[in-house]
Amino acid sequence: MTQQTPIPAEEFIDAPTGWVRILDREALEIARPLIPVVLNGQRLVLFRDEEGELGLIGRNCPHRGADLCYGRLENNGLRCPFHGWHFDRTGQCVEQPAEPEGSPMYKAIKVPMTPVEERDGGIWAFLKDGDTT
Amino acid sequence: MISQQLNDTITRIGPKTEAGAVLRCYWHPAALVEELESQLPIPVNLLGERLALVLDDAGDLRLVTRISAIGEPAVFYPDSTEIKIEVTGPTYPVMVKKGIAFAYLGNGEAPEFPNFDCFRADDTHVFAFKGLWECNWLQALEIGIDPAHASFLHRFLKDDDQGSNYGKQFRDKVAQTSMPMTQVLREYPRPDINVEETDYGLKITALRHMDNGQTHVRITNQIFPEAICIPMSREMTITQWHVPIDDENCYWFTLFTSFKEPVNKELMRAQRLKEHKLPTYAPLKNRENSYGYNPQEQADETYTGMGMDINVHDQWAVEGMGRIQNRTREHLGRSDKAIIRYRRILRQAIDAMGAGNRNALPMQNGEKIKTIIGPLSNDAVAPTENWSGASHQADLERRAACPWDASV
Ligand SMILES: [Fe+2]
Repeated sequence: MTQQTPIPAEEFIDAPTGWVRILDREALEIARPLIPVVLNGQRLVLFRDEEGELGLIGRNCPHRGADLCYGRLENNGLRCPFHGWHFDRTGQCVEQPAEPEGSPMYKAIKVPMTPVEERDGGIWAFLKDGDTT
Repeated sequence: MISQQLNDTITRIGPKTEAGAVLRCYWHPAALVEELESQLPIPVNLLGERLALVLDDAGDLRLVTRISAIGEPAVFYPDSTEIKIEVTGPTYPVMVKKGIAFAYLGNGEAPEFPNFDCFRADDTHVFAFKGLWECNWLQALEIGIDPAHASFLHRFLKDDDQGSNYGKQFRDKVAQTSMPMTQVLREYPRPDINVEETDYGLKITALRHMDNGQTHVRITNQIFPEAICIPMSREMTITQWHVPIDDENCYWFTLFTSFKEPVNKELMRAQRLKEHKLPTYAPLKNRENSYGYNPQEQADETYTGMGMDINVHDQWAVEGMGRIQNRTREHLGRSDKAIIRYRRILRQAIDAMGAGNRNALPMQNGEKIKTIIGPLSNDAVAPTENWSGASHQADLERRAACPWDASV
């Protein structure tokens, strides 16, 4: 395990549409397994959850846009430090602890996710064209 | 979610913009008096204009237009000797209040100042400071009218003793209890939020219903157009303006107002100078150094991992949204009730200005402005069935014990 780092530097990758090897597997073998990546201009957060699976989701919280690369990696997902909204590795919001008890709003909230998988010692992502949506 | 067009309308404040026209109906903090004690003129970059604070022929402070190079950085602070005045450019009146030089960049006559506590308290009881945030003014304001975020963004995973907490937000014990404010915020994260329109803006009440039939009542305020007034501790309130430098940068200017005891200005200033770099008052923790983020601290001590200074947490939250928050992607919830209401009054003000009806804006109605006092900003714990009366009573007791006229 490498030393406690603050946020690793952003990884910038530009490539045509399709599966692209974006990082070596070791890149995420850090105390807090989270790396900001920019794929074809889209700002994303790559992280590993407690089940060991990867998530690659949009960088800004869908609530009011806080920067999720400073999120709390906990409860098998990523939690925004602004209001505690909690997201799983698919970007689905699973909890909104400041909203009224029983509010179903979280079910309709999802951070855009990019398909990601591990093979051949690398981390691969499915890149879309360089639009900013 | 709002349209890109509406987001532009409510965020952009340059000389020919609609929100800019609304903001120009009000006095804005332009500089701290401590900035001009050592030199004059000083540069002032305000509402997208490049200005300088000078002494005019009559010996009064005045804002004048400054010649700036194309591509000059937004937060540019040239030395006095390098400031060149554009003698044919617009000039604006300045008024000093409690350690802040306020400027009026609008047309016609400037409005009166309301008689808020921060203006009517004795000079000994008010301390002024400022700091730079590298983002649009509206997202800076919106975090200040969002009572829920304190339960998360400012969460301390441990409560510390209240001995060394003078001059710091949320580190006091809650009135009428032995419970630290940090514990109340942490244990009751879903406040009921009530928002009422007032003659100065909005009164925002956050109710945290606790055990034993008690309710924590936090009353904060939005002061139109870009200020808030909130309690800091039992002894002090914060009145804070989020003043645009341009569309992508702003300064917070704060008047810390003490009820009973004079403010220890030396201590307050030393605490804040340790966190900021002069002459721009840029915070030492910033985007470039990841706000001092420490993942171990985030796991064990604070929600953000960015230290105990809540100003840094707020700065991270608003700067991380981007220079101008993309509100076409936001999803507002019940916790954002006051933000939604504020945007409505800002849009009403924009419409009124478009119709040539400036008098319809808050605090633009002549003599009546001086009768606006307070506003009430308070944390209290009260019996749930009488939270309103008990909260008001707690504020009245504090005001009665105060050496300056704090009557309401
Ligand atoms: Fe805050």
